[in-house]
Amino acid sequence: MSETQKIKLMSSDSAEITVDRDVAERSVLIKNMMEDIGEQAMVEAIPIPNVNEAVLNKVIEWCVHHKGDPPATNDDDADSRKKTTDIEEWDQKFMQVDQEMLFEIILAANYLDIKALLDVGCKTVANMIKGKSPEEIRKTFNIQNDFTPEEEDQIRRENEWAEDR
Amino acid sequence: MSVFKRANVTGGISKQSILAPLRETQIVSSKPVLPAEILSTILDYLPVSGQMRFARVSKRMREMVYDDTRWVQRLKLMGCWDEDEARKRAEAARRKRSETLQSIHQEEAKRAGIGVNGAAYGTNGSKKSERLGTTIFDAAAEFAGEDEKTNGAPLRSVSIVEDGFDAIEISSPRRPTAYEPQDTASRIDIFAHVSSLRGYARQEYGKVYGALAPFYVDAIRCENHTHATVFRTYRDPTQQARMLANISKFSNSDMSEGWRKRKEKFDALVGAFELAVSKEFEQALDAGDVTGKMRKYAHVLVYLNGGHSGVEIFISKSSIIGSRYRLGNALDCLNQIGPGSFLAEESYSFFSNVSTAFNEQVAIIDQIFPISVNAIIPFWQQVGKTVISEYLTILYDEAHRTNIEFYLKAVSTTCEQCLEMTRSLRPTSASGDEFYETLDQVVASVFEPHIDLYLKEELEFFKKTSNAEVNDWEKQLSEQDASMQSMFMSNVNRQADKRDFLTSFKKVVMMPVNVLPTFPMSSPFGGKPTAAKALVNGEALATTEISGSQTSTRPSSPGVINGTTLSVNRPASSLPEPPTTELAAKVAIMNSRLEGIRSLFSIEVALNLVHTAKSSIERAAVFVKVGGRFASDARLQCELVFISLLQTLGTRHIKTGFDQAVDHLSKYKPKEIDEKQRSGVTPLITFLELVNVGDLIQQMLDVFYEQELVATKLTDRNDFLNPAIKEKKRFEQMLDERVAAGLNKGIEVLMAEVEYLYATSQKPQDFNPGVASGGNLDVMDIGPSQTAIQVVETVSSHTKLLIGSTDKNMLDVFNQEVGMRLFAALCKHLKRQRISVNGSIKLISDMNLYFTYIEELKNQDLLQFFKALRELSQIYLVDPSDAKELATIIADGDRFHGIFRAEEVYQFAERRADWYQIKSKVERAMYGIGCMVM
Repeated sequence: MSETQKIKLMSSDSAEITVDRDVAERSVLIKNMMEDIGEQAMVEAIPIPNVNEAVLNKVIEWCVHHKGDPPATNDDDADSRKKTTDIEEWDQKFMQVDQEMLFEIILAANYLDIKALLDVGCKTVANMIKGKSPEEIRKTFNIQNDFTPEEEDQIRRENEWAEDR
Repeated sequence: MSVFKRANVTGGISKQSILAPLRETQIVSSKPVLPAEILSTILDYLPVSGQMRFARVSKRMREMVYDDTRWVQRLKLMGCWDEDEARKRAEAARRKRSETLQSIHQEEAKRAGIGVNGAAYGTNGSKKSERLGTTIFDAAAEFAGEDEKTNGAPLRSVSIVEDGFDAIEISSPRRPTAYEPQDTASRIDIFAHVSSLRGYARQEYGKVYGALAPFYVDAIRCENHTHATVFRTYRDPTQQARMLANISKFSNSDMSEGWRKRKEKFDALVGAFELAVSKEFEQALDAGDVTGKMRKYAHVLVYLNGGHSGVEIFISKSSIIGSRYRLGNALDCLNQIGPGSFLAEESYSFFSNVSTAFNEQVAIIDQIFPISVNAIIPFWQQVGKTVISEYLTILYDEAHRTNIEFYLKAVSTTCEQCLEMTRSLRPTSASGDEFYETLDQVVASVFEPHIDLYLKEELEFFKKTSNAEVNDWEKQLSEQDASMQSMFMSNVNRQADKRDFLTSFKKVVMMPVNVLPTFPMSSPFGGKPTAAKALVNGEALATTEISGSQTSTRPSSPGVINGTTLSVNRPASSLPEPPTTELAAKVAIMNSRLEGIRSLFSIEVALNLVHTAKSSIERAAVFVKVGGRFASDARLQCELVFISLLQTLGTRHIKTGFDQAVDHLSKYKPKEIDEKQRSGVTPLITFLELVNVGDLIQQMLDVFYEQELVATKLTDRNDFLNPAIKEKKRFEQMLDERVAAGLNKGIEVLMAEVEYLYATSQKPQDFNPGVASGGNLDVMDIGPSQTAIQVVETVSSHTKLLIGSTDKNMLDVFNQEVGMRLFAALCKHLKRQRISVNGSIKLISDMNLYFTYIEELKNQDLLQFFKALRELSQIYLVDPSDAKELATIIADGDRFHGIFRAEEVYQFAERRADWYQIKSKVERAMYGIGCMVM
């Protein structure tokens, strides 16, 4: 019975999406919410005010694929390095979206508290900007340059040891 | 989560009613902005160079990248961040902040201006590649490097010494002038220059990164291990090893995407290097070049990764392991004399061979490995695992297959020898206090697979042998004539005998059964405060007890025996004569004396059982020394053996004996026994002897318990929940119960005998001489009648048997019961007699005889009864003419201490031969007085 339990999610643009409960509970936010409100959640749609339909669908797609993953362990910071694994192939393909969508997914993952998805997103972004110059990074993240050219140069020289060669 | 700019924007729109212009703005600001924490996560996944570029994006980003925790974490990953040091420095820095701040800024500015990276170095190296051979390092460079290394060492130590807070130090190792020429040496010591400095973690990390990253990146990129820059820059294997160790440490801080693959690659490189060095080491080992190459390459391996592979090679190549079969053949222990005998000497020589070989190897280890490496412990573990364990397994398997008893002996003996051997091993200079601990652990692990089986077998073996012993004996018994003519102890001094016996028993108990041929065991007497205390207590008890009375109570009697025998025993145990034979002789004596109870149970059997138990416990006790889990297991085992001993001896042997004796007793009918043979109630005597032997065995067990279990600390005497103690209590209780039940029967039988005596032997003329001799009144002997003498003899001989063998309380109860029953029987008997005045003399003599006997029992209550009886007998002495006086005596209740009422005395008075002549007078005097009062 619990297998077929479905719940409804309502995106910011008021679209209702029906989804298996265990899929939706990949999100720690929804999982906690379900524990709090209980049976009522079966009847009413849960509002997800920060995520629009397209992104929510994408996130659900990811959740369905990762339904069987072991639940995320909560011992973060234990060894931040050891959880840094490479991105799976499926995820790599999944993340082949335009940058806007990528950021939306990251934000949604952050909001819904889906740690694995957030990690994948961040890694993808990191790969994206790996070889980029500061100016390109600025463009990517929509950040204003508030350095004077001298200041920028000083930082470069300060960290010359880190240059790739 | 804090910065949701986009969410704000959309939220704002939904409230607006005019949508058209706002749609426009939505398009413009459609680019979502990631919050800072997500950016920070992204940064985590960026390689260092990417992070630095990120820092140049904006001030906020720079702040984020320069965040100290980010770099502290990396330093921590490399294991060169010391929180305590950082705290100390931070405090010192706070004090000096104002002055240092400026200088640091200056330094930084200077350094940033002329900072040099190691890139040039890498390209340099690749140009020199034609110089390379196929090996990673060449022997020629080794010796050149040797000097370099010695130069490097003091340099390093100096830098450690001047490790205090110093603003200049932050940048000093990176001084541009020093950077290029000293490069090779300083990189080796790079980690010594890293200090834990809050706020400068990035710079500190930069130092390491600058020095090592080029090598790291190069090592990963290059296809052929031999072409890696590390090997081209450093030719000396020692330096190469140290460099590789540094880079390996550094690689731990690499956490951007793909680190796993990089790590693998680098590890492969290190592995290749290690392999090459190991080969050299092995060759040196084969050549036996201890101080030269062996030492050198061992050090290289230690620098590389702690030298485990070196230790491994050394161990696997070690002569002790390779030629382990020369140290001793396990089967020699078993088969040399004949099949199924175990030779402790053989196993001992094996262990001493191991010991010497091991010590030799340890000397070599000491020479070749640096102090920081503890090679001896893995070495010893290996020796334990392969050499000793293998030897023992073969030995045990064979022994177990052929003979369980030899198996048990072998296990215990070898364990003892093994422990002894570990004491003879020499620790290396590198091993600390935990050396012996580890030795014992290894011994424990060697014996681990055997110990459970052993303990199981031990208990099984003991149960089997003890049962076999009892069964054997029972079978023998049934073969013999069950109704064997019994002879029993006459009036020998039982207590002295028992004490004598126990003395020799104790002596034998003291002697270790498994005397090892080469490891002398310390005397069990040696410095045991508990035993000494018991001794003092015992002696004090003994003197009071002996002076007080002959009877000793059960609780104190072991103490008495303990005390006296111990004091006797001490000098005696040093006598050259072997106590075993002495004990055997004593057993023979005891046995001949206790012939009567042979058919019930045998002290010999008990002794044999105790002996078996002792050897079992002693064997198991060896494992207590091994420690840990085994100690408790072995202790438990010893208790189990003891319990099983008590059970076999108690329920199977003694209980059946007692039951049989009681059975005999209850079947006893005095009339059926031939008059001639009568010298006592045979089954009762047998039973009482039994009680004595039971007590002896009980004391034996007590001594055994004290010596074997308590004194050796195998069990805690005060732990009343302990199963062994419980079982011991149960055994004692069982014994007491049997004794009580038997005594109960015994009293009945004794009284039946007494009554039978009265009925058969008392002649009518005894108390009424006038009837038979027809008026020859003057001729009569003064003194108790034959019957009285017989009765007293019978009763006293039986009660005396009990003295010293049972609980004092029980003895008192027994005596009281016997006395009371005797009294009742006597009264009954009196009422059946006719007593004349002349015969009353004899009666009074009889009564006096009973009285003196009862006096011996020292029972006040009982004495009263017999006093009354003595008084009573005087009523027969009163002359018929003094009927009035007689009446007064009859009515005088005080005279009889309230034991006889007037009516009862009157009844006795009726037994006067002349009663009918004086009856009226007496009655008149009695009731007439009453009438007159009326």
